Amino acid sequence: MSCFKVIEGGLLSLIQDNGRFGLCHKGLTQSGSMDEYAYRVANNLLGNPHNTNCIEITLGGLKLECDDACTISVCGANAKFTINNQTADIWRTHNLHQGDILEFKFATSGVRVYLCVKGGFNIPQELGSCATTIKEGIGGLNGKSLQKGDIINFFPHAIQKEHRLHKADFIPQYTQNLKLRVILGYQDGYFDPDEVEKFFSQTYTISSENNRMGYKLKSDPIHCKIDGIISEGISFGAIQIPKDGQPIILLKDRQTIGGYPKIGSVLPIDCFKLAQMRMGNHVTFEPISIDLAQEKMKLFYESLGY
Amino acid sequence: MIEYKIASVDSIIVYFADHISRDNVDLVQSNYIHIKNLKHEGLIDIIPSYTSILFHYDLRIFDFKSIVAFLQEHIALDRRMDKEEGRLIEIPIYYDESVGFDLAHVAKEANLSIQEVIAIHSSCEYLVYSIGFLPGFAYLGEVDKRIATPRLTSPRSKIPRGSLGIADNQSAIYPVQSPGGWNIVGRTYQDMFDKKIDGFSYLNVGDRVKFLPIDKDEFLKNGGVI
Repeated sequence: MSCFKVIEGGLLSLIQDNGRFGLCHKGLTQSGSMDEYAYRVANNLLGNPHNTNCIEITLGGLKLECDDACTISVCGANAKFTINNQTADIWRTHNLHQGDILEFKFATSGVRVYLCVKGGFNIPQELGSCATTIKEGIGGLNGKSLQKGDIINFFPHAIQKEHRLHKADFIPQYTQNLKLRVILGYQDGYFDPDEVEKFFSQTYTISSENNRMGYKLKSDPIHCKIDGIISEGISFGAIQIPKDGQPIILLKDRQTIGGYPKIGSVLPIDCFKLAQMRMGNHVTFEPISIDLAQEKMKLFYESLGY
Repeated sequence: MIEYKIASVDSIIVYFADHISRDNVDLVQSNYIHIKNLKHEGLIDIIPSYTSILFHYDLRIFDFKSIVAFLQEHIALDRRMDKEEGRLIEIPIYYDESVGFDLAHVAKEANLSIQEVIAIHSSCEYLVYSIGFLPGFAYLGEVDKRIATPRLTSPRSKIPRGSLGIADNQSAIYPVQSPGGWNIVGRTYQDMFDKKIDGFSYLNVGDRVKFLPIDKDEFLKNGGVI
């Protein structure tokens, strides 16, 4: 059978794709790959269509046995990756044989690794997407992370004869410091100019509260003139400032509506980089205009052939 | 006073009003349904709430200037749905302290008996104002002033599926087990979110809801779990 058998599920390994769209009004989150850069490059290396599903491996620990010859690609965090105990490079394709064992050790820099297979995994979409959302129990394999004993089918295919690797110049370095570009908007008028200036001048530390839903930061609190707002829709990258003044950047598994004031939103390209950062890393903010931000996003997707 | 504001690189939020009222929800819903029915390929997700609608748009089709122009053309302050009322849905509730952990607290705050709290809560008709927070989590208003009770100071880490809560003048049922800070007064056996339900969510914005008190036998007989 053309499949992978899960020998070890790892810390949090999830079937993901572009995400689930058009159901936010029912309270369903968007979900999808946290770092779209690594995910899309991994699919491009295999010539897969853009929404092809993948396994998003958080930090490592995933061990798989391959049951049929296939071509895979691996991109993202620097986790030691082995095929039959031999170290293998990432940001490139590999051909596998029946019985090969893949293993992802703990990442030394970055957080999320993307494993794609040529033609994608044979997993039915649920409500329009394969994306796994654990809190909703939707998508992937029964709405759960990969567990020992799971079988992940893929479509049988001829292996890709030529190996493809991502250009070295374009392989990101996952640093411990990152500048996040912010589009002001929403309730920014509820923050005094002094508070906005403080927001853009101080360095934040990523707290232990960071996951697929959002990243909570720590620094001197930012004060908002109002206590709360009437609950309203929340965008990807929105920066909420709750009463404790510590910003939360909302990511793929965010709640659909919420009631905290927002100072602005982080450019998605920078959210993808943020998704590769971990507790104790540092971020700063700088403003970007809506026009430039929209141009940057279009260039990002065009450069990936989207 | 319609306001168009940047929400993110590819989303815009439109504010219709500055306070929650049935009229304002009606106005938001009328415009939401109108725009949703246009089925414009440049609109990816549309999230209506109490006084606003968030539009997530496709940057390959719209930029900020053109999305504002598009919405201005289609949004109207005088747009009102035909006054066809939403469905009236009765939801059976087992109001009891064994599943309604905060019944006594709500009664004490209101200076009423538990029986009076149940009688008041189940005699109102509620309107579904918004859906969010969790799949199928419907915000229902408005709870009678006499029993409106603020959220718990410290949220519970686990609220069982089907729990009915009160937070200020709103009520809601938790479709799945979740953390939460609402005052829990009862529980239903009804599935509020299920992939098998047409539209996935048992309740939709605009529906009218009445709670029907049931006894323990009926609750258990229909699959309720204590």
